[in-house]
Amino acid sequence: MGKKIMTVDDSSSVRQMVGLTLKGAGYDVVEAVDGQDALTKLKAAPVDMVVTDLNMPNMDGITLIKELRALPNYKFIPIVMLTTESQAGRKQEGKSAGATGWIVKPFKPPQLLDVIKKVLG
Amino acid sequence: MSVEIDTSAFTEEAYELLSELEASLLELEESPDDQDLIGRVFRAMHTIKGSGAMFGFDEVAEFTHEVETIFDMARNKTISVSKTLIDLTLAARDQIRSMLDAAAGGEPADKNNAQKIIQGLRALAPGAGGAPKDSGGGSAKKPPAQASVDEPHVYRVRIKPNQDIFANGTNPLLLLGELRDIGEDCQIIAQYEGLPPLEKLDPEQCYTSWEVFLTTKQSENAIRDVFIFVDDQCELNIRLLDREEVLGNDVQKLGNILVQRGDIKEEVLEQALKPIGDRLVESGVVSSSQVKAALAEQNAIKAKRDKKVQAESATSVRVPSEKLDGLVDLVGELVTVQARLNQTASTRQDHDLQLIAEEVERLTGELRDNTMSIRMLAIGTTFNKFKRLVRDLSTELGKQIEMTTEGADTELDKTVIDQLNDPLVHIIRNSIDHGIETPDVRIAHGKNPQGLVHLSAIHSGASVLIRVEDDGKGLDPNALTRKAIEKGHLPPDAQLTDKEAFMLIFGAGFSMAEKITNVSGRGVGMDVVRRSIDALRGSIEVASELGKGTTITLKLPLTLAIIEGLLVKVADELFVLPLAAVEECVELSRTDIANAHNRHVINVRDEIVPYIRIRDRFDIPGEAPEIEQIVISDVDSKRTGFVVDSVIGQHQTVIKSLGKNFEHSEEFSGATILGDGTVALILDLSKMVRYVEAEEEDLSESVAA
Amino acid sequence: MSVEGINEPTQFLTFHLGNEVFAVEIARVREVLEYTKVTKVPRTPDFMLGVINLRGSVVPLVDMRAKFSMPQTKATVNTCFIIMEVLNEEGGQTVVGAMADSVREVFELQPDNVEKPPKIGTKLRADYLRGMGKHEGKFIMILDTDKIFSAHELRSIQQGQGADAD
Repeated sequence: MGKKIMTVDDSSSVRQMVGLTLKGAGYDVVEAVDGQDALTKLKAAPVDMVVTDLNMPNMDGITLIKELRALPNYKFIPIVMLTTESQAGRKQEGKSAGATGWIVKPFKPPQLLDVIKKVLG
Repeated sequence: MSVEIDTSAFTEEAYELLSELEASLLELEESPDDQDLIGRVFRAMHTIKGSGAMFGFDEVAEFTHEVETIFDMARNKTISVSKTLIDLTLAARDQIRSMLDAAAGGEPADKNNAQKIIQGLRALAPGAGGAPKDSGGGSAKKPPAQASVDEPHVYRVRIKPNQDIFANGTNPLLLLGELRDIGEDCQIIAQYEGLPPLEKLDPEQCYTSWEVFLTTKQSENAIRDVFIFVDDQCELNIRLLDREEVLGNDVQKLGNILVQRGDIKEEVLEQALKPIGDRLVESGVVSSSQVKAALAEQNAIKAKRDKKVQAESATSVRVPSEKLDGLVDLVGELVTVQARLNQTASTRQDHDLQLIAEEVERLTGELRDNTMSIRMLAIGTTFNKFKRLVRDLSTELGKQIEMTTEGADTELDKTVIDQLNDPLVHIIRNSIDHGIETPDVRIAHGKNPQGLVHLSAIHSGASVLIRVEDDGKGLDPNALTRKAIEKGHLPPDAQLTDKEAFMLIFGAGFSMAEKITNVSGRGVGMDVVRRSIDALRGSIEVASELGKGTTITLKLPLTLAIIEGLLVKVADELFVLPLAAVEECVELSRTDIANAHNRHVINVRDEIVPYIRIRDRFDIPGEAPEIEQIVISDVDSKRTGFVVDSVIGQHQTVIKSLGKNFEHSEEFSGATILGDGTVALILDLSKMVRYVEAEEEDLSESVAA
Repeated sequence: MSVEGINEPTQFLTFHLGNEVFAVEIARVREVLEYTKVTKVPRTPDFMLGVINLRGSVVPLVDMRAKFSMPQTKATVNTCFIIMEVLNEEGGQTVVGAMADSVREVFELQPDNVEKPPKIGTKLRADYLRGMGKHEGKFIMILDTDKIFSAHELRSIQQGQGADAD
């Protein structure tokens, strides 16, 4: 489909898994290790969607989402956050910060793809 | 579709995280209030838990979850960071590690231990007792949809998104599309009465609502599922219609309601965006200079933290070791061929070709340096590993020991670092077990009850010096010599310099321990250390002062694969000596030999320097020339000469192993291929000297007998 | 009447050492090189001629005459090095070169034409032979290269050799 998705997570194994799943479905993937890194990379090349973890050093997911929404180019793109079950409160926080949706970890690849399809089309 | 998930990505990352975790915990012990560190510990466990679950490591995930829960309390300051917490978390870290090892095919992890740790952790929680597994909030797992019915039904779905629904990236059209996909028939009617006039229209707001008439066999829940993410951001109304119901138009005037609901006063918005400092000043709570000062402080702390964090998370690329080794091999071959190119260019006397060859030489040199530096790692990580070792050992032996380091960012070749680990462990264990005394003994000697082990690393020429220094009881050269004589390693009347006596500790089976502890005393450690350092083509030096302490210095080459060599010739054979060891070249004439009365020594500026005749040593046939050359080198801190026919010059030596077949030929550390294709052997000077010394000893003994 | 390991028609390379003809399995032969300069490694057994440069690799070279306790001879224009792959016990592989007076030919032997080596009657150690091949009316000794060129065999003890030097 040619759409570009950015995956932001400080865990390289998660990035790898997400990356592989998305690439396998035909998306282009850009990886970032934390919020700071994501913002830097986004300046270089625009993406169509962002999948981000919440717990990251340097800049966490919630802050990243807020920062993204403040940028004119990324005000309206779909942003999905990766959360764990125990972070129910964070989901709300994320939504308030501007997240479009969420995926709960642990997830299986098909679940990820379903969510992507849902918010990206 | 199924994706092949390679679990090694997880395990690799997990092991790394466990190392970082350990380091952070030890640091946290020193500064229990550092929120940064607490955050780091928490994040590490969080990642292991999350990724673990994703890659199927359920046991690890569950266990880590327990630990994470308690640490979260530390994060919220519900509980404090106590020694118990640190101990338990360290134990937990070890447990996780053994779980990972078990998954990789090792021994199964001790479940009882895991339970003990969890109980210990739970006991730290306030009002503790059987803390149930965190049930968490709702998850995005789809609730089991009601079984679809046999007949399709018609639903009327009213969707009225909040005006600001775009702000979180929702695209209502996608929602509509999804609805359409679950039904057999779908009629969508847009309601745009809420649209304001063009000049008031904010393109970033959603003013439209929809009514959808969906014919589907699926249940109402399936319809609700489509709106999981926007549950609280739109009004959703689903109604099952009977066939007979008329498509009435009782949709309310959404316009007003929307405008009202979406209304945010301009001024309020701006206020929310202003920096807090200004607002406080405006409200008169603080003066602007106070704010400035606080800001400056904040910036300073932030800058420091940023720098530290940046240094830690600098962009890096993971490369499998084999690829790196392959690259190094190729560079090595390039260096060899480039040497040939040089040689050919100079023989051909082709000026243009020579210029090109020079250029290639420059580039090859840079490429070689670059590649070698890629293999270089800071030794700091290795040093940090020892902090834990020192802590555990000192507790076990009832001693108080502090470990300090210096030069943690000194870089060495990766292979060298890997192989240094065990020898350093041995040496440190020795220091702690035999060197540093128990607190009361230390006090009795007027020492600080806490002992010190200092690790340092520093570049020196083409080598790296790694030192382990302790302020323990030091070595007694006389006692060492006596012990060696006792064991038959030395003749009864042996006289050794202090330095030589210290080196005795590396003899096989030699141990000064009165009793064998768990840690040392078997006399196995130190000679293995020596062999390991030998294998790395390094050397060891020991300095010590009785009662004050001992310093062991390891001298290691910066790189294993390519060294600067000195090419020498004896008859028709070519040899290479490591240039780093070479100090000077001196002529040796027949007269000099005669003057020494058949002893292999020469007088150099009033210093007696012993030498080895390579021609004789290697049984090379032929007559030596009138004037020979002695290459005087530093071998194990002793100046020793090596006699050759001529010295050809410097040669960048790509080291090729001689292979298993020549394992016993220890005097050669390898071979190299010269520019013209011939093979030259690389000499291991230290081994040569040792062999000669051993033989001369045997010889003198047999003569004496 | 065939030999273990040779169950199908197998190709062999034959070569001369003095008057004797020997054979090695072609599958183990990488290439045959002309005689080139050999760098002797000091203080190694006589049968270790030294090492040569084979396109950037350092390959050890064995004097088979010396290994089989045959008298030495001068190199001729036909002298060559047979570069072979040797399997070691741990499953790994090394490359070793063996000096031969000259190579003869390559031919195929049927398993029926390969017999067990006799226990006595050849000058060689029994374990150096895989079998005896019958070809054109003559018997040819088939060498067990993995055994002859094993690291264990080639290393030997030369510590003792140096003691009387000097």
